[in-house]
Amino acid sequence: MICIEGLHLSVGEFALRDVSLTVEAGEYFALLGPSGSGKTLLLECICGLNRIEAGRIAIGDVDVSNLEPRQRGVGYLPQDYALFPHRTVRHNVAFGLLRQRVRRATLEARVDELMEQVGVLQLADRLPGNLSGGEKQRVALARALAVRPRVLLLDEPVSALDEQTRDTICRQLKALQRTTGTTTLHVCHNFTEMLAVADRAAVIYGGRIRQVGTPREILQRPCTSRVAAFVQAGNLLTAQARLDGPWLRLTAPGGIELIAMRPSADAPAEGTVPFMVRPERVALSATAPTTCPAGTTVLEGLVQHVADLGPLVRVTTVCRGTELLASMGHREYNGLGIVVGSRIFLAVAAEDVHVMTT
Amino acid sequence: MNLQRTAPLHSGAGVPVCGRGGRLFAASTLSVVALFVAGWLTLIFNDVVYTAREAIKETRVTETDASHPAAVPGLPPSQTLFQKLVSPEITSALWLSLWTSAVTVVIGLGFAIPMGYALSRYRFPGHTFIDSVVDLPILLPPLVIGLSLLVFFQTAPGRLIEDLGLKFVFQKKGIILCQFLDSASFGIRAVKLAFDGVDPRLEHVAMTLGCGRAGAFFHVALPLARRGIVVGGILIWTRAFGIFGPLMVFVGAVRMRTEVLPTTIYLEQSVGRIEVALAVALLMIALATVALVTIRLVGLERQ
Repeated sequence: MICIEGLHLSVGEFALRDVSLTVEAGEYFALLGPSGSGKTLLLECICGLNRIEAGRIAIGDVDVSNLEPRQRGVGYLPQDYALFPHRTVRHNVAFGLLRQRVRRATLEARVDELMEQVGVLQLADRLPGNLSGGEKQRVALARALAVRPRVLLLDEPVSALDEQTRDTICRQLKALQRTTGTTTLHVCHNFTEMLAVADRAAVIYGGRIRQVGTPREILQRPCTSRVAAFVQAGNLLTAQARLDGPWLRLTAPGGIELIAMRPSADAPAEGTVPFMVRPERVALSATAPTTCPAGTTVLEGLVQHVADLGPLVRVTTVCRGTELLASMGHREYNGLGIVVGSRIFLAVAAEDVHVMTT
Repeated sequence: MNLQRTAPLHSGAGVPVCGRGGRLFAASTLSVVALFVAGWLTLIFNDVVYTAREAIKETRVTETDASHPAAVPGLPPSQTLFQKLVSPEITSALWLSLWTSAVTVVIGLGFAIPMGYALSRYRFPGHTFIDSVVDLPILLPPLVIGLSLLVFFQTAPGRLIEDLGLKFVFQKKGIILCQFLDSASFGIRAVKLAFDGVDPRLEHVAMTLGCGRAGAFFHVALPLARRGIVVGGILIWTRAFGIFGPLMVFVGAVRMRTEVLPTTIYLEQSVGRIEVALAVALLMIALATVALVTIRLVGLERQ
């Protein structure tokens, strides 16, 4: 539905460079990146609020690169929601339909239906200044959906909300997208948000798209150490790599050695390589495991710190001077009887050790 | 469907005054306000007292004149202050002041709104220079505007304009031209600041919802800048209503023709009728107060 090819745009010293991206029809696509990575700028290019210098943007079969925003068929929800402060909630939602000169009866029915759908019908006659962050977000969403856009562009729609509201809104966004089937591009800088909503996602930083894949792929198999750091890989190290039969042996600083799967053709097989192990893939045990599947690395270390993260517990261990993180549920943690300063064994399967290109 | 368009006014919320330091600070700032207002009110009060005293004195003289057995037949009797104020010269000046300043507001806002928006939204080479040129009339002595216009209409382009039938020198149209050149900058500045305060993102959203650039301006930016536009209009009107210097140079002080109220004050005081000059000044103050309060109530409070 959205096809971007070789897009280029400079703004001061920053530039979006050679951006190519495809979002399929009916897909919920997340664009993930840190602040200043160019994700909002890219969204504004798709909206038509920034004229691109090179490349092409197509929505459906139409090249919209040179069209005005109103001709592109996009619904845009900016980061701060940008509700019209001088108009009531009802009038905000009706704004686009009024411009389309929709018949009054149709307009009223559509506005009421949308306000009910997003749960703001009871706020219809209020002004935006009197709404909470979550209510504003819902009104802005209804306003964007009112014009039945072909593509819905959401710029960090939940970043200004508290965590609980954020989870609720994310679920509602996903459900609404499933109901309406609108192709949605959701810009965010939080990978948990991406996991909550996206069918597929792209990581952008420095004005370039770095990786495209399912949220799970991006989380488990980031292509570079920078992407890994951004999705909070946890254990991000560099090691000397050497091939050993079906395995790749990684010797990290301090002398700890891990076994990884033999890399694919495009990944480096020798020399210094970055690699990562997600904390939830590190298994802890108080005693040395007696039997392990082939390719499993077992390391011995000391428990340095334990942090309760709410649903999870994160255990920081030190193995030969290298810090390694492990995370688990409370039930599992309680069964281990871990004490800070005690000896602990870490087991990592070869398929959970992910070697990156750079 | 109740499509309410306007938001209620957010009148500045009172800041709580706490502690000795807070009270002291509030008292010191408010005392400056009191000093300024008291100074002005004292001046106006003295004018009122002086004028009233003169009026009473003249009324007595007029009554004496009328009943005096030695009153010379054929000579006009002495006029009371009120009679002088409603004389054809002064009512003509009042009417001329009112309609020329009103026309200047319309023309001034006709320039201020597009200029304020353009200077607020668009960046172009020479932006800073043009922004400064807009402010020039604020800094210049008003007399310079009259002199410049007089010189301009002696040059070929000026003569061409007059040849085309648009005569300004010593004409009523010249009053509006002087008022416009002297006051428009205040309006432009106020309107630009108002548009600066409107988030361009609101217009961007409007553009994705079916508006063109102009539609976003009319449906979003203009209503949101209304408060600043009203302020701009007030500034233009007050400046235009009180203009004097450039008019003396460019249109002169011809009674019943190019005489506006400030000119009347000058003419009356120059022939020694101080009480009439002061009475006209008080009339201007009263009119300006009524106009400003009305504009504020109608134009600002509704927001």
